[in-house]
Amino acid sequence: MSAARRVVIVGVASQWGAELARRLERDPSIEYLAGIDSAAPPEGLERTDFIEADIRSAVLSRLLPGTRADTVVHCGVLWYPEPDKPARILHDVNVIGTLQLLAACQRTETLRSLVVRGSAAIYGCEGASPAFFTEEMARTLPLRTRFQRDASELEAYVDNFARRHPAVVCCMLRYQPEIGPGLDAPLARYLSLPVVPTQLGFDPRLQLLHAADATGALEAAARNPVRGAVNVAPTGSISLSRFLRLARRPSLPIPHPLFGPALGRLGSQLGAGPLYGDGVRFLRFGRGVDNRRLRTEISYEPRFDAEGAARDFVTKVAGRRIGPSLHPGDLAGRLAGVGR
Amino acid sequence: MSAYAGRAESEPDSASASALPAAEAMADFLRRMRVGIEGGLDPMSAAQEAAGELPGTLREVFERVALRLRGEYREDEWGFDEEFAEAVYPAFEFLYEVWWRVEAEGVRNVPAHGRALLVANHAGSLFPFDASMILGAIMKQHPLPRWARFMVLDWAFALPFISTFMRRVGGVPASPHNATRLLEQDELVMAFPEGIKGTGKPFSERYRLQRFGRGGFVEVALRSGAPIVPVAVVGSEEIYPKLGEAKPLARAIGAPFVPVTPTFPWLGLLGLVPLPSKWRIEFCEPVDLSEYGPDAADDRRLLFDLSEKVRETIQEAVYQNLVKRGSAFM
Repeated sequence: MSAARRVVIVGVASQWGAELARRLERDPSIEYLAGIDSAAPPEGLERTDFIEADIRSAVLSRLLPGTRADTVVHCGVLWYPEPDKPARILHDVNVIGTLQLLAACQRTETLRSLVVRGSAAIYGCEGASPAFFTEEMARTLPLRTRFQRDASELEAYVDNFARRHPAVVCCMLRYQPEIGPGLDAPLARYLSLPVVPTQLGFDPRLQLLHAADATGALEAAARNPVRGAVNVAPTGSISLSRFLRLARRPSLPIPHPLFGPALGRLGSQLGAGPLYGDGVRFLRFGRGVDNRRLRTEISYEPRFDAEGAARDFVTKVAGRRIGPSLHPGDLAGRLAGVGR
Repeated sequence: MSAYAGRAESEPDSASASALPAAEAMADFLRRMRVGIEGGLDPMSAAQEAAGELPGTLREVFERVALRLRGEYREDEWGFDEEFAEAVYPAFEFLYEVWWRVEAEGVRNVPAHGRALLVANHAGSLFPFDASMILGAIMKQHPLPRWARFMVLDWAFALPFISTFMRRVGGVPASPHNATRLLEQDELVMAFPEGIKGTGKPFSERYRLQRFGRGGFVEVALRSGAPIVPVAVVGSEEIYPKLGEAKPLARAIGAPFVPVTPTFPWLGLLGLVPLPSKWRIEFCEPVDLSEYGPDAADDRRLLFDLSEKVRETIQEAVYQNLVKRGSAFM
């Protein structure tokens, strides 16, 4: 596969789009770099050509061919509602936006590869699901949540595009949720609560991707795209209970039918925000995906495994604690004279 | 102060009189803590000071608990937690030794290392204990004991507490994907191809093996190149004799079935106590599949033939062990 020369990042104002642009700017072999979004990207991008356009509008089909891009990276898929993007806009941006982008890609004759930053939410979260989903297992379980259906729909459109344009390498990245010390996402906020509500009797296996690996994998895929879906996840998994113990966060078990409503109310008061529909199921059953394709075919080896990502998150967030820890682990540790 | 001094003098006698070293150490700990507090320390530092003088064993317990509570323990990618499994093991040891008086035969047919698929008959309507007893036989009688992973009815993973417990002791949702991945990691895997048809059959059909699914276990073994070890379990059918079914209850809670036994649900929670039948477990000669190669996994005919062969081996061994066992409870 010829290396990327002219790259367009859709959704450049998002954290991941901006981070990718920052990394690609440092590479002299990339002669042209452009970013499309409806909002301006954060400060600090030097040679990225910013094109202001809404992904949902047809204007994309006029703008994109003009860039003569050989690689398009789609970072505009929204995973959860944000203050300026309420839940009902999510479907529009994710499904209609992707359709408009694909229509624009169709008119861009120079295009050689398309990388989409999608979500592993397409697999869903079930008690009965395999411990590690591989790429061909999408849609084997019922699509239960709105976001899961959207993810499935947008993937179907990309698949369809890939079939009709065999010359374009279409790479669908399926991301597990990210955590990072500086990351402002519902799950990261949830895990930073002083007392973390959990679902009584459930202890999900989690794979939380370190923010550094999230960008690293995106860059690797933009440089070396492969056809089809690729799971982006750390190696291994960690249970929520162990995560909270490492973080010295006491948990508050709530019977699972009450968990969603309780978090909806409590979460917004504590500043975590309500968890979107997928989050509640995610924190009951967890989800594991197999990352062999990422490691062997895209040749990206995540720097942090599931435990490492958790430990890194914990060490950087635990510093913010106010007052002595009331976690039983710390009390017992002080009795035994084991230092922190 | 004077009252305290008086107690401190009388303390050694009563402590030496108590036969429990832990109780003695605890009393000692509390005494030191009190000295600390009266010496002007805050409770936490006093406790820390006093803990420094604890005997080695109790200190170790404290340390282990502290590490556990801080998440400093190992847990593999499946959620198997060896420390936890070791902690609950004595309960199953009691069932194995005392309650069911298990006799195991041919345990050396289980490979000491490397991948292998144990295939057994499945019974025990309310709560099948056969996986835990097979594991018990390997842990107690194998020259090189090893933990085995087992396939669990996936409905169990939708339940609170049970899902967490199963996962920590080595259970995974029954799926060929999970079995294949575990075998590729050179684990010892237990499968019960009868599944729900085995556990849910009425007491009158006990020890008659049901259909072995679609032969998926043979496919898994062929693909991963693992030998199959057939295992016959006798005694598991009598622990909860299934006389009937509570269909409306099963529908209400979404369970595959809810059995009615002589004690359940009549005696409430007491009805969950399994009957003390006598068990025998026989590990048969391993079936080596290496001659077929992984591509043979696509050959339906071969899968059915091999599956039937394994089923007959187990059925035969079950009948033999029934005769050897004699009376079901004595």
